[in-house]
Amino acid sequence: MQRRDETTLNDDFRPWLRQLSHRQRRLWLGALLMVSTVAAAIGLLALSGWFITTTAIAGALLAAGVSASVDIYRPGAGIRFFAIARTVSRYVERLYNHDTVLRLLADLRASLFAVLTRLDGRTLGRLRASEWLNRLTADIDTLDSLYLRLLAPPLVALLAIAGIGGLLGILVPGIGLSVGGLLLLVWAWLVVGQAGLGMAASRRRVATLDRLRSRTIEQIEGLAELSCYRTLSVHRRTLHDIEQRLYDDQRRLGRRQALGSALAGAGVSLAALLALWLGAHAYIEGELSGPSMVLMPLAVLAMNEALAVLPGAFTHLGATRASARRLNDLAASRGNLPETSDATVPAPGALEVALQGVILDYSVPGAGNLAPALEEVSFTLHAGQRVALLGASGAGKSSVAQLIVRLIDPSRGQVRVNDRDVRTLALGALRSRVGYLTQHTELFHDSLAANLRLGRSDATDEALWQALELVDLADWARELPRGLETWVGESGRQLSGGQARRVALARVILADTDLVMLDEPFSGVDEATAERIAARLDPWLAGRTVLYLAHDEAHLPGVTRRLWLRDGRLADGRGH
Amino acid sequence: MPPTPAAEDELTPRAWLHLQAREIRGWLWLSSVLGVLAGLMTLLQMALLAWVVSRLIDGEAPPGTLTTAFGALAGVIVLRALAQWGQESAGVEASWRVRRRVRAMLLDHLAALGPTGLSDRHPAGLGGQLVEQVEALDGYFARFLPQLRLVMALPLVLLGVVLWLDWLAGVLLLLAAPLIPLFMALVGMGAERLNREQFVAVTRLAGHFLDRVRGLTTLQLFNRAERSVEEVFVAADDYRRRSMRTLRLAFLSSAVLEFFASVAIAMIAIYIGFGLLGYIRFGPADELTLFSGLLILLLAPEFFQPLRTLAQHYHDRAAALGAADGLVTLLNRPVPDGTEREGWPMPGAFDTPGARIRLSEASVAYPGREGVLGPLSLALEPGQCLAVVGPSGAGKSTLLRLLAGFAHAEQGRVEVVPAAPIAWMDQRPWLVQGSLADNLRLAAPEASDEQLGAALSRVGLDGLLATLPEGLATPLGERGLGVSGGQAQRLALGRVFLSEAPLVLLDEPTANLDEASEAQIVASLRDLKARGRTLVVATHHPALIALADRVLSIERGMLGERTARSHDATP
Repeated sequence: MQRRDETTLNDDFRPWLRQLSHRQRRLWLGALLMVSTVAAAIGLLALSGWFITTTAIAGALLAAGVSASVDIYRPGAGIRFFAIARTVSRYVERLYNHDTVLRLLADLRASLFAVLTRLDGRTLGRLRASEWLNRLTADIDTLDSLYLRLLAPPLVALLAIAGIGGLLGILVPGIGLSVGGLLLLVWAWLVVGQAGLGMAASRRRVATLDRLRSRTIEQIEGLAELSCYRTLSVHRRTLHDIEQRLYDDQRRLGRRQALGSALAGAGVSLAALLALWLGAHAYIEGELSGPSMVLMPLAVLAMNEALAVLPGAFTHLGATRASARRLNDLAASRGNLPETSDATVPAPGALEVALQGVILDYSVPGAGNLAPALEEVSFTLHAGQRVALLGASGAGKSSVAQLIVRLIDPSRGQVRVNDRDVRTLALGALRSRVGYLTQHTELFHDSLAANLRLGRSDATDEALWQALELVDLADWARELPRGLETWVGESGRQLSGGQARRVALARVILADTDLVMLDEPFSGVDEATAERIAARLDPWLAGRTVLYLAHDEAHLPGVTRRLWLRDGRLADGRGH
Repeated sequence: MPPTPAAEDELTPRAWLHLQAREIRGWLWLSSVLGVLAGLMTLLQMALLAWVVSRLIDGEAPPGTLTTAFGALAGVIVLRALAQWGQESAGVEASWRVRRRVRAMLLDHLAALGPTGLSDRHPAGLGGQLVEQVEALDGYFARFLPQLRLVMALPLVLLGVVLWLDWLAGVLLLLAAPLIPLFMALVGMGAERLNREQFVAVTRLAGHFLDRVRGLTTLQLFNRAERSVEEVFVAADDYRRRSMRTLRLAFLSSAVLEFFASVAIAMIAIYIGFGLLGYIRFGPADELTLFSGLLILLLAPEFFQPLRTLAQHYHDRAAALGAADGLVTLLNRPVPDGTEREGWPMPGAFDTPGARIRLSEASVAYPGREGVLGPLSLALEPGQCLAVVGPSGAGKSTLLRLLAGFAHAEQGRVEVVPAAPIAWMDQRPWLVQGSLADNLRLAAPEASDEQLGAALSRVGLDGLLATLPEGLATPLGERGLGVSGGQAQRLALGRVFLSEAPLVLLDEPTANLDEASEAQIVASLRDLKARGRTLVVATHHPALIALADRVLSIERGMLGERTARSHDATP
């Protein structure tokens, strides 16, 4: 997980900053709104203090019978203005900025999913599903803090410090410099120091949450096994250990964040104290008027608002960084299936497929990929032929199919379709001509109709019923209260294994492709049903090129040629 | 141990949160008390500040006294920082304790519900509840609740000081203050409902993602990858629109507060200014001094600050309520009574290595579907093997679930002695993230490496094991994505041979296997049977059927109003 420790903060965040820059205008406007909120808060308190002191001095003079004139209307109007401005700009700012962030998140989610869809079968196999979910939701959600918590607030605070320093500096340059300097030190601690304090623990926290999530999902999925074997408590203990690690880090982070908050409060107060101390001296020496002396610490006190958010954000910088880094890794793994620019479309009609000296080296450092490699596999599947590729489980049959439909590319050798290397064919065009029933049945949490229409999006209900008829599910579906609209549960759990299999087969049938590859089409289906389906499938398969992947030939209709695959090597046996 | 959810049966999310808070009230109080202490330090700091300023302006400041005052100010600031640190830290302590408790409670309940009780829930959604929704409780216990107690105490103290300094200014504060909770309550109610909707959206979004990601290969194969990117965008954008609705209201509550706080400060500043000028001829205004005026001005924001902080944490409360809603719904799910089957109190029963099964006129129904299985009568002795055959979807899996205790017999009796443990294998081989050994030890945590190796050879994976450089420590992907379907199935089956369970329930154990592997497994199962274990196997495969002493054929009866017919047949 942490093999790339040498990447810098800059490396980790650069792609995301680039992504943010697409919405530059919104971001700047949002930051401007934040600055105006802080400025209004400073203005309100500072002007009020100035006004009260002015009136107190004038009041004392008036009481002593000395004539004094005070402009009460402009300060009064200013105070009211700042009060309203603070409220309005704060509300607008928060709303506007959250909208921006959520827009960015939608962009981010889609673009990351797009990255995932371009990954090849091998990479997909290495990544684990629940970890992906985390990448897509939790990581992106963590990254939402990038602008709203990590970029804009320190910038706004810095501008506010500059503003305060400038304001004080106009009155007495030395005071502006020293108070501004002190605030700058506080700012630096809150940003850099807090980030350093929380880095390790907050990064670990993201990983621990990830582990907790996948272990929890595992436990729910395996509840039947675990409760049958009476080993639930053992699995629970692992979960408990992970949880405890999470809490330990959260406590550590919580205390460090509390430290940051306390320091922010104390720092601002001490800066105000410094302003008053220096201001008092300037006042006594006559360099500064009384009201201006009061204005200074009050303006500094209002800085609290700008600095208070920093500790929370920067103590957890590591979490954001960990997410950014993991998403970067994911994005970097793209392009495993390059498409050439002059990709062509295979000619219409039945397809001819040839494997020429294909070697597939599956060895992946660090990953437990147990599937054996293919070694020097060559064969030709002529147009219209029905070939059964037979072999034990794990012999490499699925790899052959994945090569043909280009879910993976061979390490060496060529896969040719209609005498063209598949790598020179347009991926979309190739896949639209190949129907592939994978060994693992994947149904989506959606209606039966929607699952079937994956095969062909414009299929009519009639076509769906025909496909269901072919797989002998039409009667069953007709008896469902909601028919085609029946929700197919969690990866099709409401269906039995055999039914799910047949739905997946119907989906391939709907796709109506020239090349059909069926991997153990009848697994989980009882013999009688398999026989019925095989009989209906036979005429449908006529004219198409067919590759069956199976461990035996039972029920496979119309096999014209058999190939045996053993430990990744083709044992050619024409006839039997 | 199953919990006793009866006490929590009627709980609303709000009441449930209160119940959780009661467990950690010590920490919550500590946090609040330290918060009040920090507030008092702020009061002292402002008073000193106002005093120093007034001494300076009035020109009666002997330099010596001022240095002391500055020193005292610095001391107060440090003390306040300490109290603030303690306040936040105590909240953190409260929060993780609650979350630990809630997670344990949820896991207990999930275990009690069992696989059947959860079959309509997406595991990713449930996982999200246990991770994200429980995490969503954090802010409520760490920040909102301590702040809630603080809000009731600190502003009163400050108000008292302001009233004492100038009662008219105090009245101004008092006028603004009660309106705030009113507005916040109004706004909060709307935000709460929306927040709950948002949680539903987040859960659905999680399910949607996992589903699409798991099926990515299928999406690629059907050229749907690009369109599903759009779907993902639409789902995320829908989430944005939902969130914005919540936020528009959630921010409104703090804006209302902000408005009152700002306007009150402005009014007080103007009132004090006019009072100091002597323009206000009524009330206490002519007694105002620079000290009291400045202190009132400095305390006015502090009066509103606890409320403002509370408003900032208000979304923590809404988030916790939204999460609690989902969690309470889950906790309120009744535990199916089917898990507590009748035992068979026969003393000699435990002497045999196998299980004894009696079914009399037992039938199973799922909500909305009638006659899923049965009525069915059956008797099975230790050392016997029953093969269950029939078309897919006829109810074979339901029978296995009934025997395992996951499904409840609507009618009739089910007796399995002993009821546990059971060796179980689903149609979908369940593998976890971890090594080969981790996956096998799920059935027998104490098993030695030799035993694991033996189990693997029982399922014909010894050859594979020999080729792995890391051996049993070789890691696997979730759902066995690094292994082929047949290998995953054999691996899951390996657990059966590690277990000493008297009853073995297998659902299509050889569905993905070639003949050689199947023969190997049939031989291994025959061996189990010879050792007196009781086997019930749902299968289509002749080799497995041949192993059985008896074959039960379940035909129709899954759909419509027809009830299941079944007959006992001996081969």
